[in-house]
Amino acid sequence: MARKSLRVWRWAAMLVALSVLTAGCAQGGASSGSVHLNFMVWSYGIDTIQDNIKKFQSSNPSVTVSLADTSWFNYHDTMATKFTAGGAPDVAYSSDHWLREWVSAGWIVPIDQYCPSLASYKDEWAPYALQGMTLNNHVYGLPYYADMVIFIYNDKLLKQAGFDHPPATWEELTSQAQTIKSKGISQYPIDIPMKKDDPWTIEIFYSMVYGRGGHMFDSNTNPTFAESGGPAEQTLSWLRSAYASKILDPAVFESAEPDVVKTTGSGQHVFTVLAKYNLAELNQGQHAQKGNFKMALMPGSQHSTVGFVRFYSLTKAAVSHGDAAVKASCNFLQYFGGKTDGQYKVVKRWAVEKGLGFANLPLYDDSDVSKSINAWGNVDLERQQAKTANVKEGLTRWWGTWDIYAREQIDNAVSGSSTPSQALQNMNTKWSQLKS
Amino acid sequence: MQAEIGLRPNLVRRWANGVPAHPWLTVAPVLALVALFTIFPFIYAAVTSTRQMILTLPDQTPFVGLKNYLDVLQDASARQAAVNAVVFSVVAVTAVTLLGLLVALLLNQPIRGFGILRALVLLPWAIPLVSAGIIWRLLLHGDFGAFNGLLLQLGIVHSYIPWLSSRQLALGAVIVAHVWREFPLPAILFLAGLQVIPPDVVDAATVDGAGAWQRFRYVILPLLKAPLLIVLVYETMIAVTVFDLVYVLTGGGPGSATTLFSWYAYAATFHFLNLGQGAALSFIMAAVLLLFIAIYLRLLRVGRDDT
Repeated sequence: MARKSLRVWRWAAMLVALSVLTAGCAQGGASSGSVHLNFMVWSYGIDTIQDNIKKFQSSNPSVTVSLADTSWFNYHDTMATKFTAGGAPDVAYSSDHWLREWVSAGWIVPIDQYCPSLASYKDEWAPYALQGMTLNNHVYGLPYYADMVIFIYNDKLLKQAGFDHPPATWEELTSQAQTIKSKGISQYPIDIPMKKDDPWTIEIFYSMVYGRGGHMFDSNTNPTFAESGGPAEQTLSWLRSAYASKILDPAVFESAEPDVVKTTGSGQHVFTVLAKYNLAELNQGQHAQKGNFKMALMPGSQHSTVGFVRFYSLTKAAVSHGDAAVKASCNFLQYFGGKTDGQYKVVKRWAVEKGLGFANLPLYDDSDVSKSINAWGNVDLERQQAKTANVKEGLTRWWGTWDIYAREQIDNAVSGSSTPSQALQNMNTKWSQLKS
Repeated sequence: MQAEIGLRPNLVRRWANGVPAHPWLTVAPVLALVALFTIFPFIYAAVTSTRQMILTLPDQTPFVGLKNYLDVLQDASARQAAVNAVVFSVVAVTAVTLLGLLVALLLNQPIRGFGILRALVLLPWAIPLVSAGIIWRLLLHGDFGAFNGLLLQLGIVHSYIPWLSSRQLALGAVIVAHVWREFPLPAILFLAGLQVIPPDVVDAATVDGAGAWQRFRYVILPLLKAPLLIVLVYETMIAVTVFDLVYVLTGGGPGSATTLFSWYAYAATFHFLNLGQGAALSFIMAAVLLLFIAIYLRLLRVGRDDT
């Protein structure tokens, strides 16, 4: 009986060894013949991405690509888990506000080092986008899209209230919103995404401060936002006052970007501050007020706003997978963020089909792009706003951590559980702690 | 016999106290798995909690002793999260237990059709927590929530209530969603407990002149001590560690109104990328849980006779 049992054990051990060997050979075969890339994105335009991947694969038959996506709201945390616990993709979406953090953690690598030919495109990128992808003189990505935070209003409802122009200052916005509310056109005329886990909150807050001609940090990334009575405090006080007087939607703290688009599109609100691509959605999507939305320069004395860039990044995982994986990743980045047959095909596609902004300046001269933007927006106004757009200030290794804390403090000040001054002081203290 | 199960005789030794070796060998794979998936992570987390481990500083992980614990105890946000967690746990566990008990008492009545109800009552518990969170978010949203729509249609409110945006209401809204999701399990456990109570005991109390409340208080409740202890321990663990619901419903906001300790531990780890502090927070949470459980055991003193 014992001998028989031993035989069974030996056979089992041989089977396990054989299966391990087979699996090893299979992997080796795959690596010798073709390269497989993992591409991680946040969940937007997945059908378009799949189609782009299909086209890339048909022109690069030796490369196969797997796509994985997760919500924008979880993207940072999901990527942190993937990068640290294993399963990191080869190529991934990233953003200017995570650049320092991801580089410090060693998660992404400079493309000018691993894909030198791609960095030559940088001369054609908008300065704020290049700045958002550059660290220590290295370029870490190719733009997926670059856009601005803009002021959006419902022109039809504004005219219905008797106004023939959008507000130029925040004080004028208050006045118009109060009139709209008193006339019963909208119970809560203003809505902006301020849900605590929505990363847009901080970009919108920056834009409101920039619009007033203010800054959040100086050129040495020292905080300037806590200046007593400064533009940041004025912005928080304005938000608090709008919330208290109910011209700002009381549900603002549970409203993320998609919620605001939905409710503004339905006509519940007249004014909002969002990323520009939402104007395309509001005017072309399935909304009751479709076609009635326009952009205006960011209210304030300077009309400045935030320009941001989301980009394709090459990860350290791709480098660890070997030269073949790096080469395939570079080709992939070239197709998605660079030129194919002399054209920014994928970037143009996003602009024309989805209204996404772009950092690739030559596209402004493309007639298809201009025609497409004018169908839902205003190319001239967009160019004018772009001239005053600034990159987010204070982008440091710890900015991502500070951002999350800052959002909580902004919520606290707007909801009235702390004063604007106290919230800004807390943000200042947190910055100092993180810096040290 | 030992040879029949295929073990070499020389492996089958006895320990000094006379315990044969082969039982240990048979459970060794399981022990190895437990060590791999429980003991190792526990030790790793304990070590992590004593180091500065920030993902953006991967090359600087010095030993810092109890600094992470001290930082957490001195952090105003962590203290606020702890206060929220205590309020949440006390209210949620009490509500879940009482509702579970009430539903069990109702379902224990010999009424036609209650068999189906017993199955249906499990429905909220069968729904994944994230899905439950999404359902409740759609119900309670201050701009388009169905519950607000209902209240408005019935004329109970004049405008939508921002349940999840109001600092005063948000934690309550999360508790309601949590109670809805959690009450079925206690209900089924209490129902099982009720069904094994001998009817003679209750009848005897009735004959002795006990009213409904007296029968419940002095006969039924003491016999439900064992399921009550299980419910209290389990629901406290769930309430203290609940995370998914907050994640989906409010993201911890508005401000810090629904930031629970478990959420804060998550934020420290995945938002702030501070693994050392995240591990310290987890150990503090585990210690509090153990304290709660010890208190329950002390208060209820369930003996062998009760079980």
